[in-house]
Amino acid sequence: MAFDLKAATRRPPSPVRVFVKRYDPVSGRVWWQAYTIKTYKGMTVLDALLSIKSDVDHTLTFRYSCRMGVCGSCGVVVNGTPKLACQTQIAEAASPASPELRVEPLYNFKVVRDLTTDFTEFFEKHRFIRPHTIRSDLIEREKPTLEYSQSPGELSEYYQYSLCIMCGLCDSACPVYASDTSFLGPQALTQAYRYLADTRDEGWILRLKELDSDGSPFKCHFAASCSAVCPKSVDPAGAVQRLRSSLLKYKLRIYRKKKVSQVVPPMKEAKPIVPLPPEATLIEGVDIKKLEEEPPQIPVEKLLY
Amino acid sequence: MSVKDRFLGRMLDNRMGLKASVSSWAVRVPNNPERLAFILHRLTGILLVGFITLHIISTNTPARAGWEAWVEEVERLGGVNIVSLLFFIAMGALAFHSINGIRLLLVEFLALGIGRPEKPKPPYIPPSFKGFQRNLLYIAFALSIIVWIAMGYVIFLMG
Repeated sequence: MAFDLKAATRRPPSPVRVFVKRYDPVSGRVWWQAYTIKTYKGMTVLDALLSIKSDVDHTLTFRYSCRMGVCGSCGVVVNGTPKLACQTQIAEAASPASPELRVEPLYNFKVVRDLTTDFTEFFEKHRFIRPHTIRSDLIEREKPTLEYSQSPGELSEYYQYSLCIMCGLCDSACPVYASDTSFLGPQALTQAYRYLADTRDEGWILRLKELDSDGSPFKCHFAASCSAVCPKSVDPAGAVQRLRSSLLKYKLRIYRKKKVSQVVPPMKEAKPIVPLPPEATLIEGVDIKKLEEEPPQIPVEKLLY
Repeated sequence: MSVKDRFLGRMLDNRMGLKASVSSWAVRVPNNPERLAFILHRLTGILLVGFITLHIISTNTPARAGWEAWVEEVERLGGVNIVSLLFFIAMGALAFHSINGIRLLLVEFLALGIGRPEKPKPPYIPPSFKGFQRNLLYIAFALSIIVWIAMGYVIFLMG
């Protein structure tokens, strides 16, 4: 998601009317409730909900934890767009022309109460794609000797997809997930590709077989809303297209895993220092052996400036 | 003693259903013309199913009433009337659906134009939005409008 980086520097309109879509599980009643709150510069939607809960209505229910976009608990729909409440500025969502804010629970999820949604199905789908590396060398897994080798280039193949915080915004925005209950969803498929692209993983036949029997990668129609709302810029849409391409290659029997990492060999002895060539000239009065034994102390002021 | 379910109420299913794949106002997502293309692709697909069914029914005149009736019917169809207008709409749907379908085949099965994975940096625009497939999308929109105008010329002015 492209953020409005200067939203926090603007002063939001005050007071702001916040319309919250509420749900009472006992009576089954759904209604919109309006609250009027005073805002300050840098106030987020989560701050607004907290101020409502502390000052106006203590029965308002919502989930949050870290308040800084790391945990992914506070996903809500603000003005029709799935967003993290803690990362959305009031100045971004409400303007002086219309000082109003609509906050709803996440779409495509079951609502427990008010803004709290149930993630059981979401986590089951995540569990289905086996979110862990699969290896055949069990002895090495139980009693590891050294780490598996992986180059920075191989890391960058999946690093972006491993940033997922499981907030559920992508599933909330996906139009296919909205109408098909058997679709795994962008989050689970992205994680499937993340482990498929990892060179430390050996279970690619099992993964591709299971995904092929489930058929979920072919249900995606590239609406790309998942990438547009992702707060961590994980790019699920791109990952699902890559996964589908790999699955098609597997069906045509031309898919080959590029490389499977093995345990790095034990480190060899340190190489000897290359001696200086005879034609190299040294600055007069510098003793190299003395310098190696006592490295020069650089004052802190020089390091800072 | 049995363990009782502590949750006394029932949960509300907040699934949007087919509304999300038909209405572009159901979920507001900024910077996302792909979703518009997705919705148009669905709507034009439904339109084409209806069009092909009606077209097969309407072109069975020779089997029903002989070839003379068919020639008479074709002669009556010239110029601008309700049938040619419906035909024009169906041809627009066909143009968009076919051109966008080629783009989708390229992007979905060959994974073309979605960029390489990268380390996210501000302002956090995902690589698949910076890739070549965005240009392909705009080309598909422009080409289908051009083809639609050409179809209109053929249907209304040459027919």
